[in-house]
Amino acid sequence: MRVDYKLNDKLDFWLFIPTLILLCFGLAGIYSSTLNNHFAHGNFQKQLFFGGVSIVLFFVIYSLPTNTFKYAAIPTYIFSMLLLMAVLVVGKKTSGARAWLVLGPLGGFQPAEFAKLGTVLAMASYLTKTSVDIESFKDIVITLAIGLFPVGLILLQPDMGTSFVFFGFILVLIFWKGISLFGLYLVLSPGFVAVASLFGIYYFIAAVVIVAAALIYFKKNIFISGSIIAANLGAGFFADSVFTFLSPHQQKRIESFINPSADPLGAGYNAIQAKVAIGSGGFLGKGFLAGNQTQLQYIPEQWTDFIYCVIGEEFGFLGSLIILICFIIIFMRIIKIASSTRDEFLSLVLLGIFTIYFVHLFINVGMTVGIMPVIGIPLPFVSYGGSSLVINMLMLGIVANVHRTRKNYT
Amino acid sequence: MSNRRLYIVLALVFIFITLLVVRLFNVQILQAEELKFKADRQQTKVEIIKAERGTILDRNNVALALNINTVSISIDLRMLPQNEKDKTAQVFSQVFGKPKQVYLSLFSEKGKTICVEKKVLSAKAEMIKNAKIKGLLISEDPTRSYPYSSLASHVIGYVNADFLGTNGIERAYNDELKGIDGKRLVERNALGEMITVAEDQTVKSVQGANLVLTIDNNYQKILEEELKNGLSTYGGISATGIIMDPNTGEILALANENDYDPNFYSKYSDTLRRNIAVTDMYEPGSTFKSFSMAALLDRKLCEESERIFVENGKYKYKNVNINDSHNKDYLTVRGIIEQSSNIGIAKLIQRLDDDTFYKYIRAFGFGNFTSIKLPGEVKGNVKNPNDWHNVTKAFMSFGYEILVTPIQLAAAYCAIVNGGILYQPQILKRVILPNGMITEELTPKKVRTVISAETSAKMRSFLTGVVSNGTATAAKLDGIIAGGKTGTSQKLINGSYSKSHYNSSFVGFFPVNNPKVVCLILVNSPTSGGYGGLVAAPIFKKVGDRIVSSDPVSFNKQGGSKDGEVKVIYANNNQKMNDVSLGNNSKQITESIKKKIMPDLYGFSLKEAVNILAKNGIKYKVKGSGKIASQSIKAGSQLKKNVECTIVCSENVTGKNKN
Repeated sequence: MRVDYKLNDKLDFWLFIPTLILLCFGLAGIYSSTLNNHFAHGNFQKQLFFGGVSIVLFFVIYSLPTNTFKYAAIPTYIFSMLLLMAVLVVGKKTSGARAWLVLGPLGGFQPAEFAKLGTVLAMASYLTKTSVDIESFKDIVITLAIGLFPVGLILLQPDMGTSFVFFGFILVLIFWKGISLFGLYLVLSPGFVAVASLFGIYYFIAAVVIVAAALIYFKKNIFISGSIIAANLGAGFFADSVFTFLSPHQQKRIESFINPSADPLGAGYNAIQAKVAIGSGGFLGKGFLAGNQTQLQYIPEQWTDFIYCVIGEEFGFLGSLIILICFIIIFMRIIKIASSTRDEFLSLVLLGIFTIYFVHLFINVGMTVGIMPVIGIPLPFVSYGGSSLVINMLMLGIVANVHRTRKNYT
Repeated sequence: MSNRRLYIVLALVFIFITLLVVRLFNVQILQAEELKFKADRQQTKVEIIKAERGTILDRNNVALALNINTVSISIDLRMLPQNEKDKTAQVFSQVFGKPKQVYLSLFSEKGKTICVEKKVLSAKAEMIKNAKIKGLLISEDPTRSYPYSSLASHVIGYVNADFLGTNGIERAYNDELKGIDGKRLVERNALGEMITVAEDQTVKSVQGANLVLTIDNNYQKILEEELKNGLSTYGGISATGIIMDPNTGEILALANENDYDPNFYSKYSDTLRRNIAVTDMYEPGSTFKSFSMAALLDRKLCEESERIFVENGKYKYKNVNINDSHNKDYLTVRGIIEQSSNIGIAKLIQRLDDDTFYKYIRAFGFGNFTSIKLPGEVKGNVKNPNDWHNVTKAFMSFGYEILVTPIQLAAAYCAIVNGGILYQPQILKRVILPNGMITEELTPKKVRTVISAETSAKMRSFLTGVVSNGTATAAKLDGIIAGGKTGTSQKLINGSYSKSHYNSSFVGFFPVNNPKVVCLILVNSPTSGGYGGLVAAPIFKKVGDRIVSSDPVSFNKQGGSKDGEVKVIYANNNQKMNDVSLGNNSKQITESIKKKIMPDLYGFSLKEAVNILAKNGIKYKVKGSGKIASQSIKAGSQLKKNVECTIVCSENVTGKNKN
C-alpha cells in the first residue's frame, strides 16, 4: 500500500497502526479464551462491535475543532462526577463493587472510565488558567481537590485499580505543569508513607525516617517541618484504616501480593495461574488456540484483566514483546506530540492521557508477571470491555486531533 | 515545558518498561521449563482405571455378587461462585430428595473439593451434569451388589469402601476377584472436566476372574429358610447349617442364622457377621459317638449284636456319674448308637487304647484345620493322650472334653458315610477368566482313608436305625430313607455344665445306600425342646424333604409318583430353584436360549435378567436400577462367544408387558 504523504501528515500512522495491532491481538485473545467457556460466548462479537464503534468515535473526535476540548473540559468533568455519584445509587453490583450503570441492551457502562478523561481535562484546564500558580498552597490544594474528588467517589464503589490510575495522572500533571521539587515532595511523601505502612510497622518507620531525612535537605523552618512530619504520620495511620475499609477480596489481593504462596488456592490463585500460563508459553508460544492453561480455563474471566497471559501463553515472549513495543510507540508519539505543542492545556491533557495508558499497562502487565498485586484493571485496547475500549479510543482521538492541528499551535 | 521534565518522564517510562521486559524475560524464558512442567502437572493427571471386580456365582451360575456402575459426585468449591451455591443446593435437593439445607452446609466449607453424594446411579448423576454446575466432578464409584441380600452372606462376605474383600469369599479370593488396575493420562480443565485422554499412554485394566462356588443357590435358600423357621419355633441364640456332598467334599450350602445383608454390612454387629460354622468350636456331644463307634468297629472290637449292660441309666465310673436319658438295662452295640447311650459307648471305648482312639479322632480331621477357603477358621481342640485324666476317654467317647467346629463335624460325617474317605471341604467350583478360560476346576481332595468301606457301611446302617427307630425319628424324610445322629451337649458356662443351655445338633445324610447329601444342623441354646432329636432333627427333616422334592429323580424318591407327575414337579422346581419367576415369558426365554439367540429382557427385574444372562454364559454390565429398559445385544440376534451385553435399567419400566 502506498502511503500518501499528505494523509500521513494529517493522521499519525505511528499512533493508529500500533493501536489497530493491539486491537487485533485483543480480539484474538478474547476469541481464544472464550472458545471453551459456555458463559462467555458472544464476547468476541461484542468486542468486534465495540471496536467498530470506537474507531468511528476516534475519527469523530479526530475531526473536531481542537478548541472543543478546552470548552468541554469543565462540563465533561461535572457530567462525569454526576455519573460517578449516580452509579453509587443506582449502579449494578458485580463481584462486590458498584461500578456499572446499566444502559439497556448494550449492557453496562463504567462511569469511572469516563471520569478519567473528565478529570484530566478539568485539571489541565484549571492548571492553565493565567491566575494559577502551582507553587501557591491554595492552588495546589484546589488542583488536588479536582483530582481527588472522583477518587473518593471511586473508592466508595470500591474500585482500587482505577484510583491508582488517578493518583498516577494527578502526579504527572502537576509535575508536567512544573511544580518545584519541594512541592512534589509535599504531595508525594504522605502517599509514600501510606503505602509503606501497609507492609508493616518496620516499613512504616523506615519511610518516616526517609521523609524526615529529605526534610533536612530542604532546610525548611521547624514549624513547616513539624507539620509535614505530622501529616506523614497521619497518612500512615490513615492508610491502615483505609485498608480495613477495603472490601475483603481486595484486602486479600494486597496480602497475597505481599506473600502470594500464603494462600495459593484463594486470592493468590489467579496470580500463580497467570504466571504459570504466561511462563509456559516460552519464547514462541504454544500457538493460537493451543494454550492449555487458557483453553482449560485455569484463570477465571481471562478475557478481561488477564488477557495479557492469553497472548503470552499462545504467542510467547515474542507476542508479549510486540504488545509492549506497540505501547512504547504509542507512548513516544503522545509524549512527542505533547512536548511539541505550544498549547499548555493540550500538552497537559496529552500527558494525562499518556499516564492513564501507562498506569494501566504497568499494573496490568505487572500483575500478570507477578510484580504488582492483582488489582483488576484492563489492558487498554486489548482487554474485553466496551466502555474501556470506547473511552481509550476517544482519548486517542484527542491525541490524533492535536497531531492533526499541531501546526496551528507550534 | 522544560526539557529536563521531559527527560525525567522518558526515563521513568524506560525504567518501568525495562522492569516489565526483564520480568517477562525471566518468566517466559528463564522459568519457562519449570512453569511448563507446572502447567502440565496441573492439567494432566495419571488416573487409575479401576479393574472391574469379578462376579461370584453359585454352581448353577446364579450371580450372588456383582457390580453396579454407580458414580460419586464431588464439587470443587473454589470453582463454585458464592452466588450459585443456593441454586446448586436446590438442584441437588431436587434430584436426591434431601433438604436443601444439607447441601448448603456442605457448600459452606472453605475452598476445597468436597464429596457431595456417593454411589449414585448414573441416571441421577446425568441430571446433575445437565444443570451445568461449576466445579462439578463425577467419578466412577461402582457399587458391589448382592442381589439376594442376606442369602449365603457368611459364605460370600463383602467388600469394604475401597472394594477390598473383607470377609467370606470376597476376602479369601480377593486376589482372584480384584483384577489388575490400569491407568491413563487425562487432561482436565480447571472445572475438573476431562478434556482429552492420551490413548498411547493408557494401560488397560484387567477384569477380575469370575468365581463359581460349589454353593447351590436353591439348597442355600432352603437351608436358610428352615434354620430361620427353626430358630423362631425353638428359640435360641443362633442356628448353623451345612450341606455337603460326601463324595467330593463340596459345600452345597452353608448358613448361620441370624445373618446379615452384605449390601449394608456395616449396620450389623461383628457377632452377626461371624461365620460360626468355621470360627466357633463347641463340644459336640452325642454326634461324636459315631466316631467312637466307627473306631471300635474298624478295629473289630465289638459286634453289632453284642449285648452291653448299660446300668439302668446311672453309672458311676471312676467316681464320676455318667447318665443316660433312658433307663435300659441291656442294649446291643447297635442299640447304643440308636438310643444314644453314654454309658454304653463309655464302656465300649475302654476296649480301645488311648493312642489308637486319639489317632482315629485326629484321622477324622479333628484338631486340624479343614483348610476350607473361608476366613477365620479355627482348628478346635483335641487333648493329647498325655493330658487325659482318668475319665477323659470315656467322656470324649460321647463328645465332651473335645472342641470341634461344625465344618469339621460335617466333613468327618462325610467320611463316616462315603466309604471311609475324608475329603477336604471345598467351596470353589471353578475360576473363569474374563476371556472365558477356566483356570481352576474343582477336583475332590482326598485327605486320607480313615475307616474301611465295610465299617462305613455298618455305620450307615446304624445311623439309619437312629432315624427309623432311635432318637431321631423326627428326622424321617418323605419317600426316601435318611440316616443320622443326634447330639445334645450341655454348654459349659462359667466352668460347669449348664442344665438349661444346650447345643442341639443333628447330622444326617441321604439316600442311605449311596449318600448324596450330608446335612448338619446345630441350634445354640434352644429355649424349648433342648434335645437334638427334638430340635435339630425336625429342621433336618424340613430341609431334606424340600431338597428331595426339588429333584426327586436324582434322589430316586419313592412315593408312587408317575413319570409325568415327576416331570411337572421337576419343571416347576427348576424354575423356583433360580428364583426367577419368569411367568409367561419363561417359555420364550428358554426357547431362545436353546437356539443360542439373545432373549428379550425388556421388563424383567434386574435379578431375573442377570440370572438369565449368567446361566447362559453371557457377560453383562448393569446400568441404572429398576426393570430392564434396554439391552445392548438385540433380542433375537445370534449369540457369539464371549459377547458382553450391557443392560440398562430404569425405574420407569413397569413390569413385563411384552406378551
